[in-house]
Amino acid sequence: MYCYQCEQTDRTNAQPGCASARGNCGKDANTSDLQDLLVHALKGIAQYSRRARDLGAANDAAGGFILYGMFTTLTNVNFNAARFVSLLQEAAKVRDQARAAYESAAKNQGLAPEALTGPAAWQPAADLNGLLLDAQKVGINAGIETVGADVIGLRALVVYGLKGVCAYAHHAHVLGYDNAEVYAGVERALDFLADDPTDINALLEQALALGHVNLDVMKMLDAANTGSFGQQQPTAVRVSPIKGKAILVSGHDLGDLHALLEQTQGKGINIYTHGEMLPAHAYPALKAYPHLAGNYGGAWQDQQTEFAAFPGPILMTSNCIIEPQPQYRQRIFTAGPVGWPGVRHIENHDFSVLIQAAQALPGFKEDAPEKTVTVGFGHNAVLGVADQVIDAVKAGAIRHFFLIGGCDGAAPGRNYYTEFAEQAPQDTVVLTLGCNKYRFNQHDFGDIGGIPRLLDLGQCNDTYSAIKIASALAEAFNCGVNDLPLSLVISWFEQKAAAVLLTLLALDIKNIRLGPTLPAFLTPNILNVLVEKFGIQPIGEARADIASALSRKAA
Amino acid sequence: MTYHIQLTTRDGQPLEFDCSPEQSLIDAALAAHISLPAQCCQGSCGACYASVTAGDYLLGEHNPAALPAGNANGILMCRTTPCSDLSIALPYDHAKILFHTVPQRLAQIVALESVAENTVRLALRLDSDADNGGAAEFEPGQFMELEIPGSTERRAYSLANTGNWDGLLEFFIRLQPQGRFSAFLRERAQPGMKLMTRGALGAFGIAEGSLRPRWFVAGGTGLAPMLAMLRRMAEYREMQAARLFFGVNRESELFALAELERLKAELPQLVVEICVWQPQGEWPGFVGTPAEALHQALAEASVQPDIYLCGPPRLIEAAEKAAAAWGIPPDQVFSERFLPG
Repeated sequence: MYCYQCEQTDRTNAQPGCASARGNCGKDANTSDLQDLLVHALKGIAQYSRRARDLGAANDAAGGFILYGMFTTLTNVNFNAARFVSLLQEAAKVRDQARAAYESAAKNQGLAPEALTGPAAWQPAADLNGLLLDAQKVGINAGIETVGADVIGLRALVVYGLKGVCAYAHHAHVLGYDNAEVYAGVERALDFLADDPTDINALLEQALALGHVNLDVMKMLDAANTGSFGQQQPTAVRVSPIKGKAILVSGHDLGDLHALLEQTQGKGINIYTHGEMLPAHAYPALKAYPHLAGNYGGAWQDQQTEFAAFPGPILMTSNCIIEPQPQYRQRIFTAGPVGWPGVRHIENHDFSVLIQAAQALPGFKEDAPEKTVTVGFGHNAVLGVADQVIDAVKAGAIRHFFLIGGCDGAAPGRNYYTEFAEQAPQDTVVLTLGCNKYRFNQHDFGDIGGIPRLLDLGQCNDTYSAIKIASALAEAFNCGVNDLPLSLVISWFEQKAAAVLLTLLALDIKNIRLGPTLPAFLTPNILNVLVEKFGIQPIGEARADIASALSRKAA
Repeated sequence: MTYHIQLTTRDGQPLEFDCSPEQSLIDAALAAHISLPAQCCQGSCGACYASVTAGDYLLGEHNPAALPAGNANGILMCRTTPCSDLSIALPYDHAKILFHTVPQRLAQIVALESVAENTVRLALRLDSDADNGGAAEFEPGQFMELEIPGSTERRAYSLANTGNWDGLLEFFIRLQPQGRFSAFLRERAQPGMKLMTRGALGAFGIAEGSLRPRWFVAGGTGLAPMLAMLRRMAEYREMQAARLFFGVNRESELFALAELERLKAELPQLVVEICVWQPQGEWPGFVGTPAEALHQALAEASVQPDIYLCGPPRLIEAAEKAAAAWGIPPDQVFSERFLPG
């Protein structure tokens, strides 16, 4: 195995990356290698799908498979090697269908179909050893001796960004929202990668093109969430347990949560959100269920102790699962792209076993003292009070906005984000999204003339809200986003964050602070380019970074 | 004075605790809130087997049959005391280690029936309580300790069913002529009676992350954990190739055949070989021990399987020899021994 896709990748050697029998995320070498091979197989599908689409024979079913397949390869999503053996067989079948559709479309137009090579010609080996041998040839650093670390790093930036794009698009897809342009963009990126590109400029261009695709994806996902469940509304969410039977739902998939709320109605079971599911409480169609009782626990990296203490079953709907401990291994369930060997997987929203588990398990013995946090400041809510915000800025009551968002993680350096948020001056507003917020969302920030100083925009899936709010403010002040009194302080962990970063760069957002460490796949040369073009910089010391942001002239 | 004990699980995760020269490794781990798989804690069952990779130790009185042959550094952690800092390789994954108190719960007998010569099926239902509710949470391959009512003696039996939300525990128990729990089952036990359980315990179980075929070799009531593992594969719709060698001495000792047929219907990839060592009549199936059947099947295997063994020590030894003869690496062979206790 060789993997350096996430922030916690092994950095103990000169060449960073997890290259032992087990990655730092807990993924074993077979699973990691089979995931590399799956990405290779998906490139093969895209080679044909892209050409078919160009001939007017788009195949969105193949596109849906690509989204799902890529999503399973993210950090902390699917650790079940057996799942990848069957996904690889399925990928070959989807590829064959895509080829047939392309060849048929070409013939119908009197064209000779191209004879494609590379991933398009891959055939799955008959046994595991054969698959693993194939995987060795297509790992993320394959060919590094020939093409060098910069090319490999840029390919990784595109592959990992694309994984994030696909994950976000999958979230919209399962809510019934699709977009032909998105499928086309994903196919273009995979087709591009299938040719093992070596041109640095072309790779950079593709990375930024992917950022634009992801903007479409985030917009589509925003439409999917708000179209399905209504616009987020500011909502106080209980973060302390209530006596009674309980189910905990983690991950990002609001559709799974909705189906579970529906199936548990009137059964005397309280549903709690965990991690990135917290913003669900802000959606009218979800908070209408009285048994959506509250939020439990913190960010994903604390789940092993928090889940062990939770007295009911746990549902993981998307990232971020880590190894289930014996105390709760029988009562954790996966859904969608998630998987762990030996953990029950729920399909087609059939939560009957989960409900049975909740009824059998003890639940909370007593009420804990009530405590709440407020969520629900999506773009609709924030822009609803835009005039008030703009007036406050003009009057000098709001000096600056900090967007402190992204993923949380276990690295000690992430304390920076807590310090940054809590030390931000009283005349500044903190916008947040993603699970990074758990580092400071129970802190009392107060308000500025009735405007809360902490505005929780939602999940990392709600990045579109941040972009929309920033764009609206820029329009109101008749300036560019880079001219706003706004600083982005991003915490990254995995590939969704890579996709969001590409979008921010594609929008030419400058001077982003990124931490807690910079991605290991960004070589010094790539980093230099990002610094020169976008002023991207690592996090430093919180107090100094705040001072620097407040004194910064517009880019 | 204490020594530093460094454990490494099969999946490469480290654990550490301190241990005095007078303390067993199992006891010292427990004192550090690490509940390692163990059963009899008297050096006789083999459940706490591990390998020392560095350091000096004393291995106290124990049953040699509880240690796999051929491992000069093999220890039973319940009988081992350190003479230096130790590094120890554990033959199971981190997920098999408990970091909380082993539950002790009352259960009611809901079924007790003879299923074959000297073999009974015992079904219990756990009482619902404030800490555990009514759930029966355990991994296939694990065992429970059952306390003989009116005494403090406990006996360990493998669970034959899978974790469930109805609190049900199912066992297949061989009645031993001199066994105390056997005497309880023969003479006193009846549906409605309550007894205390402790568990679930044990590290025996499916190597979940492995993609190799799963071969199960069971002798007599050693079928119980294999049933649990196969039932779990069926519940989770796991498609790994699977093969069961189930052996008894005589046809009259066979049991659970209807359940095996049901499992074959649910797991189309499952191949079942029933082995009778000394058939009393015309036995159409394999005549011999399941270890012999394993030996023959390995000769024709195109892929080296993972092998799961449960039964009497002689069966385990014979099956381990067969596996070794065909070059199956020791870390692909998982065993649970029955030992009289």
